[in-house]
Amino acid sequence: MSPARKGLALQEIVSTLQKYWADRGCLIHQPWDAEVGAGTMHPETFLRVLGPDPWKVAYVQPSRRPADGRYGENPNRVYKHQQLQVILKPPPADIQDVYLGSLVALGIDPAVHDVRFEEDNWESPTLGAWGIGWQVLLDGQEITQFTYFQQAGGIDLAPISGEITYGLERIGMYLQDVDDMFALEWAPGVTYGRVRKEEEYQLSRYSFELADVDLHRRLFEDALKEGWRLLDMRGAGGAKDRRTVLPAYDWVLKASHAFNVLDARGAISVSQRQGMILGIRKLACGIAQRYVGADTDTEPQTAKGDTPTAVKRA
Amino acid sequence: MPEFLLEIGVEEMPARWLPGLTEQMRQRFTELAQASLLVPERVQSFSTPRRLVVTGQVAARQADREEKVWGPAAKIAKDAAGNWTKAAEGFAKKSGVAVDQLQQAPRDPALPAELNLLHVKRTAGRNARDVLPAAIAALLRGLAFPKRMSWDAWLEDGKGTLPFGRPIRWLVALLDAQVVPLTIYEAQAAAKGRTIVESGDTTYGHRFLPPGAAGRAVRVRSFEDLRRHLEEQRVVLDPARREEIIQSQLAPMAGTGLSDFGLLAEWKHLVEWPTVMFGRIPEEFRRLPIEVLQTVLIHHQKYIPLGEDMHVTRFAALTNADRAAEAEIVRGMERVVVARLRDAAFFFAEDMKRPLADRVKDLAGVTFHQGLGSYEEKARRLVRLIDTMGERLGILTRGEMETAREAALVAKADLTTLMVREFPELQGVMGGIYLRAQGHPQANVAEAVRWHYHPVSIEEGSPPARVFSGGVPTGSSDPYGLRRAAQGAVRVLLDFWQAEETEKQPSLCKLTEAAVAGYGQAVKRPAADVVRDLESFLLDRLRYVFTARGFAADEVEAVLGAREPDALDDPREAWKRLQALHRVRLEATEDFEALAVAFKRAKNIIGDRPPAEVDTGLLQEGAERDLHHAVAELQPPAPGGGRQGRGVDGGYESRLRSLSSLRGPVDRFFDDVLVMAEDPRLRANRLGLLSQALSLFYRIADISKLGG
Repeated sequence: MSPARKGLALQEIVSTLQKYWADRGCLIHQPWDAEVGAGTMHPETFLRVLGPDPWKVAYVQPSRRPADGRYGENPNRVYKHQQLQVILKPPPADIQDVYLGSLVALGIDPAVHDVRFEEDNWESPTLGAWGIGWQVLLDGQEITQFTYFQQAGGIDLAPISGEITYGLERIGMYLQDVDDMFALEWAPGVTYGRVRKEEEYQLSRYSFELADVDLHRRLFEDALKEGWRLLDMRGAGGAKDRRTVLPAYDWVLKASHAFNVLDARGAISVSQRQGMILGIRKLACGIAQRYVGADTDTEPQTAKGDTPTAVKRA
Repeated sequence: MPEFLLEIGVEEMPARWLPGLTEQMRQRFTELAQASLLVPERVQSFSTPRRLVVTGQVAARQADREEKVWGPAAKIAKDAAGNWTKAAEGFAKKSGVAVDQLQQAPRDPALPAELNLLHVKRTAGRNARDVLPAAIAALLRGLAFPKRMSWDAWLEDGKGTLPFGRPIRWLVALLDAQVVPLTIYEAQAAAKGRTIVESGDTTYGHRFLPPGAAGRAVRVRSFEDLRRHLEEQRVVLDPARREEIIQSQLAPMAGTGLSDFGLLAEWKHLVEWPTVMFGRIPEEFRRLPIEVLQTVLIHHQKYIPLGEDMHVTRFAALTNADRAAEAEIVRGMERVVVARLRDAAFFFAEDMKRPLADRVKDLAGVTFHQGLGSYEEKARRLVRLIDTMGERLGILTRGEMETAREAALVAKADLTTLMVREFPELQGVMGGIYLRAQGHPQANVAEAVRWHYHPVSIEEGSPPARVFSGGVPTGSSDPYGLRRAAQGAVRVLLDFWQAEETEKQPSLCKLTEAAVAGYGQAVKRPAADVVRDLESFLLDRLRYVFTARGFAADEVEAVLGAREPDALDDPREAWKRLQALHRVRLEATEDFEALAVAFKRAKNIIGDRPPAEVDTGLLQEGAERDLHHAVAELQPPAPGGGRQGRGVDGGYESRLRSLSSLRGPVDRFFDDVLVMAEDPRLRANRLGLLSQALSLFYRIADISKLGG
């Protein structure tokens, strides 16, 4: 362990935040076991923010963004980073103060830093989701995305949810005062580089050079097809089956990841991009509708059909 | 008069909204208080990211009001037996009084004997305290935000949920130190739930300062009290004062040719307690293109670059913090800047590995617009357009054509670079930088690429003139932001010719035709229709550009209304005509007013009739002959040949000056001569004479459009 280390190790940051939020009534969930681009895609966010039921949850989510891969050579940019995601539904009136308390728990005293909430709205075209909020800047460094969810799966949310997403590596680099992500201490004496650098190299290499484009195109198409097949299933009496949404949603995630790989591979033209994003969004919106039980019409849902509810924001 | 004070405490409101919201607070509150009969005075508003404040004097109580409500005529109010009729009873019932309490009075003062039933409705003024809650509720509802959010709030004003810009966390609402009650409830399943915010007399200061007393609840009694307590709690309420503080902290930098790059206007709305801090740019990054450094610092971090001789060496950053923490904060900021610059340096090195021209073929994979092909096709189309401009239209010299062709081909190639993918706002700019850095033999090509998206706003100056010696006057086919692009095209043409006096004039009509032809089969509608639509669109833009340059709307209309030559066919000449008209009209305001009136009249009579021959034998009246004489004198020397005033700046002016001498003859003509004479030959002759007079001006401006 380096004697110069002044902040928490990455794993200590995780356990500190998990304890902090558990103490405030959050259920501590686990990462979703599929490739996702952000903690928002975890069903504990995407599905739980729908409907009226209160929910408080926190979890770490390793997030894959193939196009951001840099073969482990860029100190700030990686194929896979880790988010710690908190959902507070509904958000308490003192949500900002509670969040700031978590920074104090990490050893960041806002009184001797410049902590700011700067306008930064969030939007996910693939999930038909958007929110209003801020990036939280710590001395000019974005350390958290703070969002009041307004819509998910094309559905207006009531109540809204507060989403707090910590960028764990960035917070760690700040606390440990290192300029290179790979020099971060994951555990005392063990660097982030030792844990992940080879993975970064191999996954970057795969996304940019080795990934089979045709296979991923097929995966993309097949994932959407399977998602719709599940969504179109009917139970006894011909009613729409509400108990297929969870596996159907897994296929949304798979389609989304295949899209990201193709994108990193440079295999998506600008004109294709729109259509593919729309394809994922239609399925995601269909799932959201079914999840809240809004699509009670008896017409079968097909991949060619329109989204049940108009998606208000692209 | 009692003082009213409202502070809406919010979670951080976007900085760019605050100027508008602050003004809305003042204006909307004034309107609402007026409508509530509270005669507001000295209303002021202030804001920080966490509060919107409005204060002013209002009446303690509304004035009592009397309203006369007239009923039926007295003679039908009672029947023959002297009993109240149904009509009278009905009116009393409607008025809510006993019929005996109604008065009788003459409704029309001129007819004192004709009496009507009268109910004088008296409304006692209500106390301001009772009226203000509804006004505050209406204010909360009426504020217009660029984007509103649901925060599950509910207002008890019959209108249900209360979306807002950001969640409201406290409300100070005081009338002379007394709380004006207002409650915001939580919305539950579209109904009223429990209380979220209740108005009071308690405010909150800076989130983190002063150390040890941060975020403390403070009770206030008046606006002055609020201002003073907030200042103690490290909040400067007045944006103008925050700007002064920022300016004074930046003052030591004034000598270094400081430009704020437009950031100061936003800075004062970013924080409650402005503290400017300064950071260093490490030596190794100072050689990055200055545009890249500025993009990282200005656009991404909102820092002001500082330095000399095109080298950024330091930056100024605004914080909401305490000076005591400066060293630690600056270290953090420098680290962020370095990380970004390191990325940029990586992109730059990677992009430099391939010549820009090599990337043109990659553009085949980048869609320009659905149905209009790729950027590669667009590049080829641009090259063909340049050829047309040179070979067919003759508005480019051979040398210019060579430069422009080359620039057009590579202009969009930087879209595939890492730098532009990361910093899209650098499109075009990076192309120019890479061409220069890769040692392109022709500096003009790099310059043309660098500027080819410009001008991007009406405020921005047109590209420097030297660009156009290389010439890429075609920025007009951007499918998005079409208006901006069309405006750009118009301005480029106007300024193009200021830079370079060339024999051939650029015609927007011919350029439009050529550009549309370049799309070939890709354009689904008949080309002539597209050209016509584009021309009317461009004419609109020309009108906008002229007006934006400060010319009166009627002068612009007059010039655009001239028939020969068409303004679009020769925008540069239209521009000269406009300036001439403006100047001469200033000298001879009265003459032009009179002429405008006369010509409006003339135009109403003759309509669009072309100028006809005048038979001098038919001229009867003196005024008629005088006008004919004056018109003949003023006929252009070589009618139909060449352009008036071409190349000579004063040409239009002197022409307009002599034309203004027509005022006398025209006025006399209208005074003395009956245009619509009974004899059809006389009438036709007089109409012909008038239209000749009008057509003298048509080559410069349609004078009848002046004066609205």
